Amino acid sequence: MSRWTKFLIAVILGAVGGLFYGWVVNPVEYVDIAPESLRVDYKTDYVLMVAESYQVDHDLGLAVRRLALLGSSAPADIVANALSYALQHEYASQDLSLLQSLGEALLTWNPNQEIPTP
Amino acid sequence: MKQDRRGSWYLLTGAVLGVAFGLFYSWVISPVKYVDAPPYALRADYKDDYRALVASAYLYSGDLLRAQDRLAQLKDDETAQALAMQAQRALAEGSPEEEVRALGILAMALGGGVTPDNSSITPTQAATYIPPTSAFTPTPLLIEPAAGPTMTLQTSPTPLITENIPESTTNYQPVRTETPTPTLGAPFILQETQLVCNINQVEPLIQLEIKDAAGQPVPSVEVVVTWDGGEDHFFTGLKPELSLGYADFVMTPKVVYSVHLADGGQAVGDLTAAECVADDDSRYWGSWFLTFVQP
Repeated sequence: MSRWTKFLIAVILGAVGGLFYGWVVNPVEYVDIAPESLRVDYKTDYVLMVAESYQVDHDLGLAVRRLALLGSSAPADIVANALSYALQHEYASQDLSLLQSLGEALLTWNPNQEIPTP
Repeated sequence: MKQDRRGSWYLLTGAVLGVAFGLFYSWVISPVKYVDAPPYALRADYKDDYRALVASAYLYSGDLLRAQDRLAQLKDDETAQALAMQAQRALAEGSPEEEVRALGILAMALGGGVTPDNSSITPTQAATYIPPTSAFTPTPLLIEPAAGPTMTLQTSPTPLITENIPESTTNYQPVRTETPTPTLGAPFILQETQLVCNINQVEPLIQLEIKDAAGQPVPSVEVVVTWDGGEDHFFTGLKPELSLGYADFVMTPKVVYSVHLADGGQAVGDLTAAECVADDDSRYWGSWFLTFVQP
């Protein structure tokens, strides 16, 4: 076996060790994540909370600002995704109604009037 | 001959280069991504947003179980205390009154108290909690709090699995249960008025502690203190490090104060800064400690 072959094997073994250490033993830890990184069920519940809150304050701008924390998608799309997940997982009818109500309200929301500020 | 002189250092060099490449790739180019994270991994300010949203949603549903389940996802050590402390921060930062009110109401509900009808909020001065030691003249007063939350819906959410953050393996899905009967809070009564002498307390205080029928402190109860030409409002629970049901007000000597809960009831009047006598016959200001309870 040539010296170069041995050298490359050493590099590969080292890389494998480095990847194992970086991905398994001591991976990058995200302890300060944003709501955007929440799992889909938590995101759906977050949207549901926004919908419940909207029933109290009827502040569409506030609802949009809260939804903006879940990503750069349009607020109506975020609610639609949540509603889709809720339908798939058979959420209670009251919850579905709340999500639908918020989604319909967002269809009338004009982003030129209020700019989301996450 | 030349190869022998180099020895096997090239192998170590290769391994080091490989490890460096592996770490660079796994930490910088393609680090572990938490795309399915639970709420407890949120940054502190996002956790505050989350709590405020839970509290706001609670105002709609009155569903304490659902609110508890949601807050449990944050894994706070003391949920009610975390809410009360956030309410205190929100007050100090000038956050919207509705947010502070929602946080206070939920904190109180979690503490087992009733729901106050708070309309204005004013923080009070800093003070020291002094456990009452000497009894004064207990005068039962009847003070009517507002009605409690309407418990109409309940949920039992359950969380999902995450690849990199250990968590349970089921979906977080709210389930509703009808609970139609509203719960009214029993009236608070003044159980005790005590003059507390503590030589370490420099300023004279009016201190209050409000407890529910189970003896648990009740946060977010609005207290009104009035005097000739002035009035101030403050809330219990803004010093959770002392007690969730505690509040205080700094008195000015020679001014006569009257105290009542904002929801009504008879006032506790004729409260003035009283002097205490130390062992060396020196005098210092004492504090009045009022205890309100639900019978």
